[in-house]
Amino acid sequence: MTRYLARRFAASIVTAVLASIVVFLIVRAVPGDVVAQMLGQTSDPAATQSLRAFFGLDQPVWMQYGRWIGAALQGDFGISWTGGRPVSTMVVDAFLVTLEIALLTLVLATVVGVPLGLLSGIYEGTWPDTLIQTFNLLGLAAPVFWTGLMLLVLVSSALGWSPPLVYAAPGESLSDNLAILFLPILALGLLQAAAYSQFVRQNVVSALHQDYVRTAIAKGVPARIVFFKHILRNIAIPLVTFMGLMLTQILGGVVIVESLFAIPGLGRLLLTAIQTRDYPVLQGALLVVVIAAMLVNLGVDLLYRVIDPRVRLA
Amino acid sequence: MAQADTASLPQAPHAWYRLARTARREPAMAGGVLVLVLLCLVAALPGLFAGQSPYAIDVANALQPPSAAHLFGTDDTGRDIFARVIHGTRITLAICASSLLIAAVIGGISGTVSGFFGGWIDQGLGRLIDVVLSFPPIILGVIVTGVLGPETSNLILALSVIYLPVFFRIARSGAVGEVGKTYVEAARCLGLPETTILRRHVLRNVLPLVLMQYIVQFPLVLQIQAALGFLGLGVQPPTPDWGAILQQGKDAILLAPWISLFPGLAVLITAFALMLTGRALQRSVDRR
Repeated sequence: MTRYLARRFAASIVTAVLASIVVFLIVRAVPGDVVAQMLGQTSDPAATQSLRAFFGLDQPVWMQYGRWIGAALQGDFGISWTGGRPVSTMVVDAFLVTLEIALLTLVLATVVGVPLGLLSGIYEGTWPDTLIQTFNLLGLAAPVFWTGLMLLVLVSSALGWSPPLVYAAPGESLSDNLAILFLPILALGLLQAAAYSQFVRQNVVSALHQDYVRTAIAKGVPARIVFFKHILRNIAIPLVTFMGLMLTQILGGVVIVESLFAIPGLGRLLLTAIQTRDYPVLQGALLVVVIAAMLVNLGVDLLYRVIDPRVRLA
Repeated sequence: MAQADTASLPQAPHAWYRLARTARREPAMAGGVLVLVLLCLVAALPGLFAGQSPYAIDVANALQPPSAAHLFGTDDTGRDIFARVIHGTRITLAICASSLLIAAVIGGISGTVSGFFGGWIDQGLGRLIDVVLSFPPIILGVIVTGVLGPETSNLILALSVIYLPVFFRIARSGAVGEVGKTYVEAARCLGLPETTILRRHVLRNVLPLVLMQYIVQFPLVLQIQAALGFLGLGVQPPTPDWGAILQQGKDAILLAPWISLFPGLAVLITAFALMLTGRALQRSVDRR
């Protein structure tokens, strides 16, 4: 176990370092840097030179990288080139917003997706199953931002309600905060609920066709006990690990709904940083996204080993 | 029944009859395939379905709701949304199909090579793929298109990069499975060069897996393509791409929801048909 842990951890670190280099290089592959953008068309060489020196752009790329990663390891991501705020506070603020959306979406997807999946799996081949499977496919087929737009149209025309235009942190006004997050979470949650329900159904169906379940039913074990003891207990592990997978999915989907509903999360931070060529913000936000996704994967992997003794021994 | 009289044997069922039988057994797949055939027709001959031009501006008729003259309504410059969605089919599907093809070819071949040879090639390529996988797909798409600029070629590049790991992994695991089989061993004993074994035996057996993935991944590519278009990072206006139309409709969403409704429905229906087909295909493969 410890040896496995060490190996897994080392592999993650190598990937993280490579990813950080890729992040750094992609950002610098851009035609036209921040200086060109600040000075516009009529730039005189002296001003360009001094500004490039100010931003450290006149140094070789590997030296820029070394400086950046060295500081980043100490929690210093530099200062935004456009706003002048420290990148670390910007990224942390945005990350907390995104985290709230992601966790609430995960809860919604679980509360809706798991019961639907269990139901359609148990009633395999009957009309409730067909109905739920149609919901699943529709949920997976609909683009998440489109679902969000349509929900917005629906609630505003049917209920005459529209979410507040300015984002409010949960600390300022919890009701405003939830009001503005309601639609994006609903849109993302429906998609993920469909995915979760689909996954749960597959697991239930394959468990139902196992010999031990057939034996249990044949020897007259009550249906309730077959369900809880034979089926649910055996599929519990994949169901838990699927939640980790969903969390990384949500992290990606959040980018789109954030830009749609003007929520100041990581996704919007990334998009604006790209548009303004704000390298330090772009690098910092990307690194946080990559590391967050990596930690989730690592966590899922470990959880898997903790709850399943067969994997632990192997 | 070594030399039976062929006339007394039951005739092989006619192709149409077989098709009808398959359709009855898999109605969902039949429906999906029907929609896909129709979509291909629309993509090939958009003029046949939409009389109006997708570019014709008609300010006098801006923001008209759906009517007999404009089935899907008009946008803020009076362009016909129906014509734009119909003409957008070809562009949208072509971008998705070509990106996925690039990903399938490069990912499929590199994955097969990686699984076949193993060793340091496998280690190195695997590590590279891990790096790509460490970015959530949409975010990877946003970075590549955002940083390189919103051009169609960059969009195709971004989508190919996102889907390359999927094909790499499928092909790699397929190749690893083939390498252990006895016919590969037999070919080795016969003294066939490794590259011949790779090309003639392993690659050929990996191909069906890759083709299957192509269909399974298509609806997902479609959605990322639409999402990037929606963020303004995909195909640029005035070209009628589904994602680009959605992006234009965003600002007028409460005023003219039909601009967004129909291109989104187009994405949904296409993805739905692809998923039905893919799932049925997967089932029939699993059954074998």
